[in-house]
Amino acid sequence: MNNLELKDMEWTEDLFEPLDSSEQNSEFIAMESKTFLQDSWNRFKKNKLALVGLVFLVLMILMAIFVPMFSKYSYDQMDMTALNQLPSAQHWFGTDKFGRDIFVRVMYGARISLAVGFSAAIICLFIGVVYGGISGYVGGKVDMVMMRIVDIIYAIPSLLYVIFIMLIFGSNVWSILMGICVSSWVGMARLVRSQVLSLKEQEFALAAYVLGASTSRILFKHLILNCIGAIIVNVTLMVPSAIFTEAFLSFVGIGISAPASSWGTLANEARGLIESNPIQIIWPVGAICLTMLSLNFIGDGVGEALDPKKK
Amino acid sequence: MSEPILQVEHLKTYFATGGRFGKHPVVKAVNDVSFSIGHHETLGLVGESGCGKSTLGRTIVKINQPTGGKIYFEGKDITSLKGKELKDFRRDVQMIFQDPYASLNSRMTVGEIIREPMEIHGLYGSTKERDEKVCQLLETVGLKPDHIRRYPHEFSGGQRQRICISRALALNPKFIICDEPISALDVSIQAQIINLLQKIQEDTGISYLFIAHDLGAVKHISHRIGVMYLGSLVELGDSDELYHNPKHPYTQALLQSIPIPDPKVERAKKPVEISGELPSPLNLPSGCAFRTRCPHACERCAKETPQLRDVDGRQVACFLYK
Repeated sequence: MNNLELKDMEWTEDLFEPLDSSEQNSEFIAMESKTFLQDSWNRFKKNKLALVGLVFLVLMILMAIFVPMFSKYSYDQMDMTALNQLPSAQHWFGTDKFGRDIFVRVMYGARISLAVGFSAAIICLFIGVVYGGISGYVGGKVDMVMMRIVDIIYAIPSLLYVIFIMLIFGSNVWSILMGICVSSWVGMARLVRSQVLSLKEQEFALAAYVLGASTSRILFKHLILNCIGAIIVNVTLMVPSAIFTEAFLSFVGIGISAPASSWGTLANEARGLIESNPIQIIWPVGAICLTMLSLNFIGDGVGEALDPKKK
Repeated sequence: MSEPILQVEHLKTYFATGGRFGKHPVVKAVNDVSFSIGHHETLGLVGESGCGKSTLGRTIVKINQPTGGKIYFEGKDITSLKGKELKDFRRDVQMIFQDPYASLNSRMTVGEIIREPMEIHGLYGSTKERDEKVCQLLETVGLKPDHIRRYPHEFSGGQRQRICISRALALNPKFIICDEPISALDVSIQAQIINLLQKIQEDTGISYLFIAHDLGAVKHISHRIGVMYLGSLVELGDSDELYHNPKHPYTQALLQSIPIPDPKVERAKKPVEISGELPSPLNLPSGCAFRTRCPHACERCAKETPQLRDVDGRQVACFLYK
């Protein structure tokens, strides 16, 4: 090369100086090692709204578990001497038209609503991730067929599935759960497919392929692991939508049936008394609203915390 | 030269474009390329962007399927390998990628990344033994063993590329394809990586196919250099000779385009002879692909495709040399 001119220079001793000993530590990394989750949690903590949402949700879950266990009232215990009472020291939220304690009923309803919401989200997570992952990674004709199936499921309104499944299996928690899952896993599948589609061309996936990694290893250890952020956000937003669907179904009367209670059925029952005892409808509706709100805040917070670009 | 470790014969990799209906043009990314690489040898591959260098490398490691031709590794045709044989081939041939930021899984620690190839191939009995090997590899590439629990985002570009190198070395391969391993790094780090690759070659006798567009770096590391233009090899020869006496008009133009860090010399240079844009690989010129930009193009160049022929101990694909 033509840097040969440098050769003509005179190299004298004073042009050089000894290497600073700190140079030898140039490979040292001062930052404390943090895993991905620790890092995300630190970012999540900075989002106050999301933190409030998380605290509320945890409280709600704890109360849903323990209030019906330890309360002296049960959700279906009627007391004809105390009908339609206003909130008091005995009955914190008052009683309904059969004299049942509304506080216990709302907490019992929280069990059903939250259980339906979380289990629907988890079931959809598994089906959607596996289906979307395979569709995106295999590609070609397989992808084409799998995605057309998704399109067909997506094209039919989810309420139709729920009502159809209820007709066959009767109206109980399981058929509501099944109905919600049948229609909402497709969103997750589409999301995962699109992520996998773009990630599989990236060099780390190619590197794993060249190393001889099996398809399932590349798919689950490399690709799915890298779209976990989008997946978690989608799950946290799927929970409130499942809770809302369940509440809606129970409210229109095709969901959980009496004496069992979910927030939807409670709202439905209180609806008849909205003129004489308007306070009764506030409790279930308030529970729905606050839970949805906190889940949405959590979803936003998680989305921000997991997005490395917002560091 | 003794038995080559890798031999490529008339390799073609074409990509179909467009949808399912009608006739669609085909991108001839690699078009009839033949060469061989010996043990303990580095073959440099240069050419401008889009000339098919990377596709050639990816076809050899079977990321892309060849449309035609044969690839022999240690005398065995690898174009149709499957199952266990393919896995064995993967142990011997590894690849280092261009972008050190994209080629490491950001959710795995360095230890997990380098251990993974050993897990896939069931090397070394336990995780503890594998971790020892990982530490050893990290030291080989100049990193510290306590980096094993770090995540890739904590490292600089050069350090990441060294992690990539140690991952490729984890299987003790005989041949590594370096797909522009230095073009994403800054100049001082480039030298570091090249010296590291050379040192590894001295210690282990590994062979490289070194793909790059930085001619200076390629000359430094390569024993022989191949020049690619629009999917074909136009010149192949000893790196010093090719540099000092380029034969193919394209090689001449390419070498002229190297900037020289001295304004006097740089200004005194002859202007680059070739003009025009790179033709679309969808619609290659007839005959010699370079004829549309070649200052010496003649009628024959449009009619016939020149093949690589021996000219003064080197191979050139041009009708100027008979």
